[in-house]
Parts: sequence; C-alpha cells; structure tokens
Amino acid sequence: MSSEPRPLHDDEALILRIEGLLAQAAYQDNPLREPLAQLFEHSQGQRHRLERLVRISDGYQTAARSDSQTLAEQYDRQLRRLEKLARISDRYQASLREMSEALREASLHDPMTSLGNRRFLADRLNEETERANRKNSPYALAMLDIDFFKAVNDSYGHGAGDQALCRIAHCIQEHVREYDHCGRWGGEEFLIILPETALESARQVAERVHHEIGTMRHEFFDGRITASLGLTLYQPGETYSATINRADMALLRAKAAGRDRVEVA
Amino acid sequence: MNALTIEGSQSTPSIFADWDLGRLIMQGDSYPENSFEFFGPVIDWIERYLSESAAPFDLELRLVYMNTSSVKAMMDIFDLLEDAHGRGRQVSVNWYYDPRNERVLDLADEFREDCSFPFEIAADEQ
Repeated sequence: MSSEPRPLHDDEALILRIEGLLAQAAYQDNPLREPLAQLFEHSQGQRHRLERLVRISDGYQTAARSDSQTLAEQYDRQLRRLEKLARISDRYQASLREMSEALREASLHDPMTSLGNRRFLADRLNEETERANRKNSPYALAMLDIDFFKAVNDSYGHGAGDQALCRIAHCIQEHVREYDHCGRWGGEEFLIILPETALESARQVAERVHHEIGTMRHEFFDGRITASLGLTLYQPGETYSATINRADMALLRAKAAGRDRVEVA
Repeated sequence: MNALTIEGSQSTPSIFADWDLGRLIMQGDSYPENSFEFFGPVIDWIERYLSESAAPFDLELRLVYMNTSSVKAMMDIFDLLEDAHGRGRQVSVNWYYDPRNERVLDLADEFREDCSFPFEIAADEQ
C-alpha cells in the first residue's frame, strides 16, 4: 500500500470526458475520432476483464482460506482424539502390567507363610548353581524339617499348626543372613540357600536357625517345637537335584539320630 | 432388524440392544481381534436408532478391560452421542464399575471428558 491508489472519480471523470468527446457532432469527421473510439472500447473491455479477474481471484482465496481453516480444525481435533486414545490406552496397559506383576509375585510366594515357594526356590537354585560353576564358589544348602509337626496339628488343631508354621517361617527368615534365600519347599519343609558360603560358615547359620526355632515360645502350649536340618555343599558340576538329595540324606540322619539337630553331608 | 444381541466371549463383551426401550447394554472385557468388525454392527445400530427414532437413548456400560482399538470404538460411539446431543436429542451414558476395581472409575472418567451429555459413573452394587 505504498502508492496512493488513483481516486475512482478520476477514472470516471476521464470516461465521461471521452464519451462526451466521442458524442459531439463537431468531431464526427475528425480522423482521430475513429481510433479514439476503438481505443476507448478496448480500454473499457480491459477494465471489465480486470474487475472480473479480481472478483474470481478473491473468491478462490476466500475458499482456500476457509478450506485451510477447516483442515486445521480437523487436524487439531484428530490430534486431541489421538492423545486421549493414547492416554486411556496407556492406563489400561499400566493396570494390566500391575496385575501381571501381582500375579508373578503370587506365583513365587507361599500364600500362608509369605516366604518364597518351590518355584521361587527352583529359580534361585538355577541361578546359584550357574554362579557356583562360573565362579567356582559353591553354595551351601540346608533342608529343614519341623520335628513331630503332625503331632502339633493333631493335638492343637490345624489353626495352631498353621500359626506355628508361619512363626517358624519368619524365624528362619530373620536368622539367615541378608543375602541367603529361604523358602517353603512343601508341607513343613523349608530350604535355605547360602550363596558362596563355605561349609563352616553355613553350619553356623544352620545352628543359629536351629537354636532360634528351638527357643521360640508358642501361644498354645508350653513345650518347644524343634527342627532338624540337613546341610550340604554344592559339588561343582552336579545338578541341584543331587545337592538337594544329599541335604535330604543328612536330614534323614538328623531325624534318625533323635531329631532337634543339624547334620552335615 | 431392530434387535441386536451379541453373546459375550472371553475377549468380547456381551451386547444387548432394545429398540423399544432405547437402550444398549455392553458388558465384559473387550479385546476383539478385529474391533472394526466387532463394533461395526453396534455403531450401525446406534446411528440407525438416533436417525430413525426420536425417543431418548441410554447406553449402559459394564466394561472392564479394553484394548486400544476398542477404546477408539468407544470414543467414536461417544462422538455419535455428542453430535446427537448437539442436535437436541436426549442421550445418556451410565457406566457401572466393580467397586473392587477403582481403576475403571478413573478410566471411565477419562472417557467422560469432552462429553457434554449426561454421563454417570457409579459403583455397581450388584
């Protein structure tokens, strides 16, 4: 908008003037009249074309502008929808993930004592067996069985038996070392895995657990509940089942020798 | 063809639509293999009801888990209801959730955002 547009009335004044000149009878025979009439007609034609062109062009621009506005609105709307979809979907996924985590936890723990279960122990045994062979530093394994547990159940009821089992489970967990693994192998049998531990240190831990269980007080009777333990060391190259069998043999010997003791194999 | 009944399965919700009552009920988990195919008849039914009947429409939901394409289908359905509501139609959603699973409450609330028609979320005491 730098140059001042020519005022409209200038155009109109010029047109009126030319029209006036062409109409005057005095100029009818002027040789310039015919070319001037042609030029005037041509100029008027161009004027009309130009106006039409501007009108059409403006129309296109308006249409394109409203199109692009509609597209921008649609785009924004779709983007908001997509964000909402992702947000809701993420929440569903998060809740599924939490559920699967809870299920995994449940699948590895004994619901009664909340110690690790047999599957948990098998996972740890696999890991420790691999580590023992890789680093050539064997783990120790203790199999623990509560003495005369059936008698506890029979004399005081299963409620009392369950309660004793839970308390003993906690007692075991409390008196192993922080990096030892323990879990419920089945019934009233527990397994303690002592990673990278020499037999003498393992025996100290086993004796401590044995002692602590034997000195526990119980609500439902004045006597003691004792435990027998079979302890062994993993032998490089063997399967953990072989180690468990050996711990079991030691446990049987402890039982045969009068229970309430730790035997080593 | 004004009745619509789809038996539920492990991966798809049960669906029951009653033209005379102006009500469509969806219940269960929703992770169909092909959500477009599964929800197509449901969306068709709602569109047809909203265009052919002038009576109110109520959508009753007891949905638990949904996969992403089901979430999208539900958003499409809510958009349909929103448009109808904008044209002055009486539409409503009632979403019942299991009080043991409060997460569904939050999710339903997320769906409700942008909906200006009546959208109730309530614990299912059944």
